[in-house]
Amino acid sequence: MFHVGHEKVPMCSGHGPTRRSFLQAGSAGLAALSLPTWMSLESQGAVNLADQKIRNCITIFLVGSPGQVDTWDMKPEAPAQIRGKFTPIDTNVPGIQICEHFPQMARMMDKVALIRSLHHKTGASHENGQRWMMTGHEFNADSMKPHSGSVISKVFGNRGTLPASIVLPGKIGNTGAGPLHGQTAAHLGSAHEPFVLGADPAKSDFKVVDLAPPAGQTEFRLNARRQLLGQIDEVQRKAETEPEAGRDTAYARAFNLLTSPEAKQAFDLTQETPKQQDRYGRNTLGQSCLMARRLVERGCRYVTINHFDTVFNLSCWDMHADGGGLNNTYADYERLLCPQFDWAFTALIEDLEYRGLLKDTVVCVLSEMGRTPTINPRGGRDHHTTAWTNFLCGGSIKGGQAIGSTDKTGSVPQNNPIEPPQVLASIYHAMGIDLETTMMPGPGNRPIRLVEAEPIDQLFG
Amino acid sequence: MEQVFEGTPQAEIRLEGRKLVRGDVTNDWGSQLLWEIRRNGEVVATVPARANNSYEHTDTTPGQYEVVLQMFKYEGYAKDPAGNFTKSKMIEVSNKVGYTVG
Repeated sequence: MFHVGHEKVPMCSGHGPTRRSFLQAGSAGLAALSLPTWMSLESQGAVNLADQKIRNCITIFLVGSPGQVDTWDMKPEAPAQIRGKFTPIDTNVPGIQICEHFPQMARMMDKVALIRSLHHKTGASHENGQRWMMTGHEFNADSMKPHSGSVISKVFGNRGTLPASIVLPGKIGNTGAGPLHGQTAAHLGSAHEPFVLGADPAKSDFKVVDLAPPAGQTEFRLNARRQLLGQIDEVQRKAETEPEAGRDTAYARAFNLLTSPEAKQAFDLTQETPKQQDRYGRNTLGQSCLMARRLVERGCRYVTINHFDTVFNLSCWDMHADGGGLNNTYADYERLLCPQFDWAFTALIEDLEYRGLLKDTVVCVLSEMGRTPTINPRGGRDHHTTAWTNFLCGGSIKGGQAIGSTDKTGSVPQNNPIEPPQVLASIYHAMGIDLETTMMPGPGNRPIRLVEAEPIDQLFG
Repeated sequence: MEQVFEGTPQAEIRLEGRKLVRGDVTNDWGSQLLWEIRRNGEVVATVPARANNSYEHTDTTPGQYEVVLQMFKYEGYAKDPAGNFTKSKMIEVSNKVGYTVG
């Protein structure tokens, strides 16, 4: 036992202070437990990460947000203005139907757990949803919260030379309402910023910018530069007062990537057969999924794939049909988005399973929100935060189920309403993290929970 | 970043009796794949082709039938007032096969 304030806290055999005991201890006690103290406890065995089987995570983020009624929560009995244009098809799980434009996914529904009752209570902007689903928190510029990949980086660190968290192909940019998308390390620091590919892996001239030495830069010169950077780091390290600062730096990380054959290989899709590249789809999403598999296979713990970096002036899930810069319609879903997703997602799951990686890799398909159940006068659907569907599979996720349900129009949860932090808690849990014992530094370096929610029990059977 | 689709998808199709059979698509963009079926030069059906490698068209209306695989080529989201893509379109990605119904 150890004490926080006057509260006795159990802490042996991998059972560290629990969330409940922290709450019981009160804020005065919490303030007294600094991160160094926590790390010291960890070194004494109070927080036993070694006992936890750490898994990987690949998140596919559908920027723009698919309409739940048009995809994974169809309402064929509803009036035409609600049920929309598409038809549901059976899956390999009796009782679960999905959109006709996901025929490959329908054959592997036994691996997938749909969450049909997702909702949040904040405004219906893309950015609100991104913050919820990328971090498990709502926040503003004064209280930034770290991306889930940065949390994983902080808690578990790197395996090998690859960064713990990688974003493919690029970060989310302009989605209409500000710069806070929840894709930074926030207070966890630059060492835990996700590495961003920043290039389209589907292009024939694809190169990872940060991995290719500048023209004329030889390995020798790089090493000389490294020594210089090392000296700078040493100066910086002495100047920093925070104990964590200087242990890892963006410089060191970039250098490792720049010089590591292993890292270069991980990003090199030419090592895949043409047939394999075709199976994922020769498009940005498909080749990002293929790269994600290569990355987790080689030690990256957390890959985020953004299916689009904006919602403006391109084909994406944001189906407003506004006749202008947001003119996505059923035609985009039918011709491009659904087929492309179906092909890439199922290739990823098949490939992970074939290589024995699916049991150790949680695959999440997330979005900011859903879309209005009633089709707007232009033939599109607008933003809707009170019900949508996302899904998880792999790792310890129990597939072949639909958790929660919505009313007959897909407007609101009918039972088992689920909020975004529960999804993040479930992802962490599925990755093998004990949320009761694994903490991260919060404001003032106090240890705090990764997310203030419990995992969704049904996901785990 | 807007998606760029490079190269050209290609597949071989053949007839086994009245059943249409396709091989894998090389340089597959992953977008919508359809059987386009014409009778006497007029399009009479477009049928999803991604889920299965074969399809048998059951229409027995007499005529000369011709079949080709098509895939959606994305070249921008722009649409006309009727909602049709102005640049993006379905393109042929296979050889053509034909048969006659009596």
